[in-house]
Amino acid sequence: MLKIIIPTAMLMPMMWLSKPNMIWINSTTYSLLISLVSLSYLNQPGDNSLNSSLLFFSDSLSAPLLVLTTWLLPLMLMASQSHLSKEILARKKLYITMLILLQLLLIMTFTATELIMFYILFEATLIPTLIIITRWGNQTERLNAGLYFLFYTLVGSLPLLVALLYIQNTMGTLNFLIIQYWAKPISTTWSNIFLWLACMMAFMVKMPLYGLHLWLPKAHVEAPIAGSMVLAAVLLKLGGYGMMRITILLNPTTSQMAYPFMMLSLWGMIMTSSICLRQTDLKSLIAYSSVSHMALVIVAVLIQTPWSYMGATALMIAHGLTSSMLFCLANSNYERVHSRTMILARGLQTILPLMAAWWLLASLANLALPPTINLVGELFVVVASFSWSNMTIILMGTNIIITALYSLYMLITTQRGKYTHHIKNINPSFTRENTLMTLHLLPLLLLSLNPKIVLGPIY
Amino acid sequence: MKPFIFIIIMTTVISGTIIVMTTSHWLMVWVGFEMNLLAIIPILMKKYNPRAMEAATKYFLTQATASMILMMGIIINLLHSGQWTVSKDLNPMASIMMTTALAMKLGLAPFHFWVPEVTQGISMSSGLILLTWQKIAPLSILYQISSTINPSLLLTMSIMSVMIGGWGGLNQTQLRKIMAYSSIAHMGWMTAIMMYNPTMMILNLTIYIIMTLTTFMLFMYNSTTTTLSLSQTWNKTPLITSLILVLMMSLGGLPPLSGFTPKWMIIQELTKNEMIMMPTLLAMTALLNLYFYMRLTYSTALTMFPSNNSMKMKWRFECTKKMTFLPPLIVMSTMMLPLTPMLSILD
Repeated sequence: MLKIIIPTAMLMPMMWLSKPNMIWINSTTYSLLISLVSLSYLNQPGDNSLNSSLLFFSDSLSAPLLVLTTWLLPLMLMASQSHLSKEILARKKLYITMLILLQLLLIMTFTATELIMFYILFEATLIPTLIIITRWGNQTERLNAGLYFLFYTLVGSLPLLVALLYIQNTMGTLNFLIIQYWAKPISTTWSNIFLWLACMMAFMVKMPLYGLHLWLPKAHVEAPIAGSMVLAAVLLKLGGYGMMRITILLNPTTSQMAYPFMMLSLWGMIMTSSICLRQTDLKSLIAYSSVSHMALVIVAVLIQTPWSYMGATALMIAHGLTSSMLFCLANSNYERVHSRTMILARGLQTILPLMAAWWLLASLANLALPPTINLVGELFVVVASFSWSNMTIILMGTNIIITALYSLYMLITTQRGKYTHHIKNINPSFTRENTLMTLHLLPLLLLSLNPKIVLGPIY
Repeated sequence: MKPFIFIIIMTTVISGTIIVMTTSHWLMVWVGFEMNLLAIIPILMKKYNPRAMEAATKYFLTQATASMILMMGIIINLLHSGQWTVSKDLNPMASIMMTTALAMKLGLAPFHFWVPEVTQGISMSSGLILLTWQKIAPLSILYQISSTINPSLLLTMSIMSVMIGGWGGLNQTQLRKIMAYSSIAHMGWMTAIMMYNPTMMILNLTIYIIMTLTTFMLFMYNSTTTTLSLSQTWNKTPLITSLILVLMMSLGGLPPLSGFTPKWMIIQELTKNEMIMMPTLLAMTALLNLYFYMRLTYSTALTMFPSNNSMKMKWRFECTKKMTFLPPLIVMSTMMLPLTPMLSILD
């Protein structure tokens, strides 16, 4: 694992010492090289994990997330070049440093064995994200957004610290490699119910669960493009990954405690999708669609069947790539019109036809068109929840319809129809933007040829 | 203050604390406290204005009362055990009186009312000595009697301190008052662990002293006393703004900075002793502290407050203040979390 961690840490000095016109090129190229190295971790043995040391390991659940994280850094760097072009050199380097630091902490989080180390790094990812959102966001609301983001996550995760230390005292160790074999069923007493709540609430806030999702639209909308990309693609998946790891310790209380959270997720899925239909702000629409997709992942993790775990993992990877791509597309609009209102830049298909092709493909991926892995994930989750309870099919079906509705609404509003007269003189699409979209879309399409990489440890 | 007189006074302050820490005779403990108190009064009054005199008077009155209550506890212990030795078997009545007296000296709730007002009235460097050095002596006595302290008394005081330190600091813009409420909250954390593992109290004290020392030095570097003047730091020394950002997060106890180490260790020791609700309550209330530290960083580092053009030139000037030992202090206040396994040497 050090062969990924040390190069990522060394990206920082390399970028600080580069010539001013080479900082973007150097950091993007070398981070692409690091993501190439991380691909070797996808070669997982079927039923076990690749253990690098006592501190780091990767199994079929964390390897796709690791590859997604390392893949995303060059994409974030490519996307940020335009809005940082007017800053002074030291601030550009500081921004890139924040991105690289976040990447480093995320790599270590996804590969940590010891659960306390996972906790420390999970909290540590908050600091660079907070700095990116609050320092480099564009509107005044970013201050509030940063505070909501920090405090929602911290209030959820402090009980997790106490719970983890309590589990360490009773089990003797918190090393994941050991406790997956040592975990004993826990009885359903009141104190174990509180233990369950303490363990899960941190990840519920991070996912986010419907009642606790207030930080997400604020943070996604106010963050600059790299912040939005990393938030949507990776930081939300930290919650899903954590939940899947920690539920091993919490049997069989989960089957009883899951009911309120299942209800909140199932209802929240439909609520947030419906809100998307009434949004005027493009980034806000994509943010609420993230909440909706993550609610599916929560449902899947709480049901705890083999199909649902496969679906949850596939959905996390698929949603990461799709959501990040949608944010990049929204950003390409924002850079031209300097407004996030959807109807201000409409009818773009006649002016930027290639970008319209990317919009079409991204919207189709978002509404889970076959044969993308979005469909694989959603289908597995819908079928698993149908077997858990027959009535959920109504809510899931309604959600799929409304997802299709708002994805097409977004596509039609921005691309189709007659363009407005004030956008006739926008810049044409840059090669950098087209590359960005291709690099998001290619993994998504290629994974539909071999989805078993992203189907997780149960496959 | 003339250097010669300053040396005599500081020697008395330091030797007073060292007498308290090292003696085995209870009367000498009281003598050490009184030496410390009398010698620090001129230090508190370095700036000769009515506000400083009011602060010094309030400090003197509370500390003298606390010393007298401590003396009462010592006499009760003498009455019941017949000897003056500082030892672990203390009479329960004497223990309660001494705990109350030492809580008054530390500024634990409900005896915390003097801390913000005294800290606000004195200069930054005197406030630094007040909030760091003056805590060492009472905590060393609490360390020595820790096995006989009444748990409900101490835990009540510590939980109240953390809460009051959190809520009290929310409405403050004066930096010295913010640091005073921060001190009250940290004292609460330190006394919470006193009965179970006093070694963690020393760890918390060490890291707290390093972080508070660094914070005060950064504030003195800019000669700021209010949040508003701190917000102009980006004009004077842009590097200090990032350092204040990281330092405030460390004071608030965010991983992966070293301010997280004492909180983590304290929560670990408390959960080992079957206390679950209390560390959760302490941790959640510490988030209030984090809120007003983040407010400081918002105005300093994360936004750029408007300033006039002559202020924007100030970064070109060299700083003439002597900031001894600041770089190692900054490294120690922010990057020491990976050294946590070294705590085994404290056993």
